[in-house]
Amino acid sequence: MDTSALIDSLHPLEIKVIMALGSRPADTVLETEQLAAAAELEPSQLSMAIEWLLAKSLLVVHAETVTPMVSLTKVGEQYVSGASPIERVFSAAREVTSTGKRLTIPDLQAQDGLDPSDVSKAVGRLKKEGVLLIVQGGCIESTGRPSPTAEAIRVLLQQVNEASRELKSFPEAHRLVIEDYAVKRGNAKEPFRVDDRVTRSFMLSPAGVAAAEHLAKEGVAEEVSQLTPELLKDGSWRNKRFRKYTISLRAPRIGTGKKHPYREFLDTVKTKLVSMGFQEMRGSLVETEFWNMDALFMPQFHPARDVHDVYFVKQPTHAAKIAEPFLSRVTKAHQDGDKTGSTGWKYAFNADRAKRLVLRSQGTAVSARTLASAPAVPGKYFSIARCFRYDQVDATHATDFFQVEGIVLGEDINFRTLLGLLNLFAREVAQAKEVKFLPAYFPFTEPSVEMHVRHPRLGWMELGGAGLFRAEVTLPLGVTVPVIAWGLGLDRMAMVALGIHDIRELFTDNLDLIRTTRGIF
Amino acid sequence: MPTISIFKDDFESLLTLGGRAKRPVSPVSIEQLEDWLMLVKGELKGHNQETGELRIELQDSNRPDLWCCEGIARQIRIKQQGKLKPYPFFAKKAKKGQSLIVAPGLEQVRPYVAACTAKGYRVTEEGLAQLIQTQEKLADIFGHKRKTVSIGIYQLPKITFPVTYELVKPDQAKFTPLGMETVMTLAEILMVHPKGLEHGHILAGQSRLPILRDAKNQPLSFPPIINSREVGEVRVGDDELFVEVTGTDQLMVVLTLNIFAANLADRGATIEPVEVRYPKNTPLGKRVITPQDLGNSKTIQLKTIEQALGQELGVQVVKQALEVYGYEVSTGKGTVKAKLPPYRQDFMHAMDVVEDVAISRGYGEFAPVMPAQFTVGGLSRIEQTSDRARELMVGLGFQEIISNIMGSPESYRDTMRLVDTEWGRMVEVDNAMTLTFSCLRQWMLPSLLRVEAASNRAFYPHRLFEAGDVAIPDPAHELGSRTETVLGAVIAHATAHFSEIHSCLDILFYHLGKEYSLEPVQHPSFLEGRAGRIVVAGKPIGVIGEVHPEVLERWQITVPVVSFDVNLSQLADLS
Repeated sequence: MDTSALIDSLHPLEIKVIMALGSRPADTVLETEQLAAAAELEPSQLSMAIEWLLAKSLLVVHAETVTPMVSLTKVGEQYVSGASPIERVFSAAREVTSTGKRLTIPDLQAQDGLDPSDVSKAVGRLKKEGVLLIVQGGCIESTGRPSPTAEAIRVLLQQVNEASRELKSFPEAHRLVIEDYAVKRGNAKEPFRVDDRVTRSFMLSPAGVAAAEHLAKEGVAEEVSQLTPELLKDGSWRNKRFRKYTISLRAPRIGTGKKHPYREFLDTVKTKLVSMGFQEMRGSLVETEFWNMDALFMPQFHPARDVHDVYFVKQPTHAAKIAEPFLSRVTKAHQDGDKTGSTGWKYAFNADRAKRLVLRSQGTAVSARTLASAPAVPGKYFSIARCFRYDQVDATHATDFFQVEGIVLGEDINFRTLLGLLNLFAREVAQAKEVKFLPAYFPFTEPSVEMHVRHPRLGWMELGGAGLFRAEVTLPLGVTVPVIAWGLGLDRMAMVALGIHDIRELFTDNLDLIRTTRGIF
Repeated sequence: MPTISIFKDDFESLLTLGGRAKRPVSPVSIEQLEDWLMLVKGELKGHNQETGELRIELQDSNRPDLWCCEGIARQIRIKQQGKLKPYPFFAKKAKKGQSLIVAPGLEQVRPYVAACTAKGYRVTEEGLAQLIQTQEKLADIFGHKRKTVSIGIYQLPKITFPVTYELVKPDQAKFTPLGMETVMTLAEILMVHPKGLEHGHILAGQSRLPILRDAKNQPLSFPPIINSREVGEVRVGDDELFVEVTGTDQLMVVLTLNIFAANLADRGATIEPVEVRYPKNTPLGKRVITPQDLGNSKTIQLKTIEQALGQELGVQVVKQALEVYGYEVSTGKGTVKAKLPPYRQDFMHAMDVVEDVAISRGYGEFAPVMPAQFTVGGLSRIEQTSDRARELMVGLGFQEIISNIMGSPESYRDTMRLVDTEWGRMVEVDNAMTLTFSCLRQWMLPSLLRVEAASNRAFYPHRLFEAGDVAIPDPAHELGSRTETVLGAVIAHATAHFSEIHSCLDILFYHLGKEYSLEPVQHPSFLEGRAGRIVVAGKPIGVIGEVHPEVLERWQITVPVVSFDVNLSQLADLS
């Protein structure tokens, strides 16, 4: 990098340090503190600048010295205004000796603010100095002598409290006391601390010298970090240098407004269906068994209708009535086929059962309602309906889930147009070119088809089921043209595409996951 | 529908030879099998290479004849052989004395019975496993857990005809049931035997219970509960069997026997019918020979079939398609007269035959055609309103959430401080599996707090919204509740406050083109004095406020949360 490019990349703090050294005689060596004074920088600013300059090899470390420094700990600071344990034991001994009271070591240890180990240490020291005696019964007595240790501690507390000092500046006797009463491993409750202060001295490298000369010759445009309205208004941005950023750093995270990835997928499906000419239907979360099942020619004894498959509403249990003529026509269709050309299921239809309120268990209930509401012919309808199944919730079963379902009515509807429509879904919804049609069974359609597609990325999967509504379904609801009923199983496709293995994760409460999951299309 | 387990070599032998000869059979590839399974609406669920076990799911709940190895093999075999070879025993009379006498009174309990004998097939291990599996699947699924149909199979040599089907007092008859060591009365079986405990409710309230006994008064079984261990335990090596079916629906009872008779015949047994003598007339008469072919012929217009399939086929093609699917067919001018094989009874409508034509020919034979008629697509008004609102919320920096609609009263009501309030009413279910999923949400805020409570490690601020359905109890509505679409939003961070969410609401309503006002409201979920009713055109359509600290505490949320709930359905209706 040439010198001017190098200088462009310098931070103002770095320039200050280079100038501080460069303006002095060649080969000037400055210690950290001297450099801070010369460059007029705070210690934190200086240390940043030094690290950057070292990294750029503009500055070199001349020497590194290690100096043990004495300072006070939190405990020490408390002793400055109060008293250290040795001072307290000393004066307590003096007091009992003059008053004739008895004082044992456990008594001392029980005193407020005195730690048993501190007491032991103080008593031991004072006894060694001949300041204390331990007499019969474990009682303490003062000999009346002064304690050199207690006095030294008092002096040192005062001295070090003013400013931390180099250990070697203390006389020998005090140094020993400091070492005895300094924090070390296993004994954190001491008044003094001895830390190594590392002092480095610095000088400019040859490249640093060249930079300093360049700076001295060319001068420095004032550097700014931010373009401001003021700079723009008075045009002074022309005299400024804009600090260059390290643009390879990671961007800071921000929160964003975003659709839910699964919902985004369903929105895409919705848009596709509308573009294919489908009109949206809406339905109720709570339905009668009539619209949920009877109208779909599922006999009332059908195994999928019992208490282990459908959720029943607690209150009210039944709808007041089922609209006519649908109730009587469906009743007859179940019993003997009525005018549908069917034999019917040949059992006694229970109208009360038909009124039982349930949570909608299939999206086809919405289609049944639409059939009964004089739909357009030709007509195409769809719904994305939340449905409920009585299932143990696990990785493949959710208590409520979306079903994408619909119907197509028209004079030209037959088995082959049914297959044609499914082909269209395969192409448009799953982007699949290969399709397999398999015979299937649904209570309300005949013939029935299951469609498997080869998804371009996800391989063969079941995309949906469909069929022609039975006449026992359409005729009682007033529809005389053939009707396709179709349903797409999109949960699995969405899960595979979203990399989800547990269906419960579609409705996850993990905000991080929702924020970071990418949409499918 | 049922998933059954069959063995590949057993299947292959039934397929090639009808199980009757011992010549080596040709193996079937799995690809070939999957292709054939389309004929029976079957799906291969698993294949154990070592044991040869195949697990197959059968979809059609109206085709119990296919829920077994014999039935699947039969359907495929007919296609290969071109026609069903008629089973001779359907035309036979019962041998003299081979009868089953039904005593009076059973019409109130379990009225119908059908039976036959099967000789000359030595039961193999695989054959026995299939026999038991078929018995279980048919009684359980087709027979509604034995309520409408149950099946018993016995060692014929131990039985002396005529057999009687009669009623006895619960302590009048006793025998050693299967699975037990000691003689028990019927009453004891109901109280002690696992099958008695499981199925006894079918006979609840009956003072007299059904029993099958032979001419020597030896008990055969206590239908539909359990067989006698002496007579009713079939073992590998047995080659003379007695099969009976009892139940409440005569056609289903006879059909079930027909299926068993055909299955045993396919394995090489000679079937002899039994004459059932009822005390009174039944739908099938007073004296009923079983098995019995119940099939009636239906005449169907060729036009009906061709229109439904969207393809011209001609009577000969239809005839052939139905014959290779097991039907008996004769043709007229533009008509086809079709009769189901005796092991089927699923004809309800001409369309059922239409589907069989399609399946028999293969769905791949029908070229897809696009429906040509023009229709206009579109979204409902509420969906349009909801989409508009969602787009605005995204623009306001909110992350969309989707939640279960089903949840617990605790989260939707109790933690929200809404017990016994107008806001706390919900649609609850009667048969909840767990309290966690036992009611429908009546508003959106709890769904969002659910995410908030789980996401205290996600970086702040949190701005979340969900637009979705809720159920609001309404006695005036025909369904007892209204389903409405609600938009809920929350903001959560250390200094979240009312005016922040108010600003969002303000912009939302401005761009939805709605004038609104806020009226102070005392809502227990919010801090008093910091909650408002959102009013549009004089109608309350939502609530906004700072969530009450007690609510946050109960959700273990440790930052302030402000929120609004807006009923989009009501809002859309106001324009």
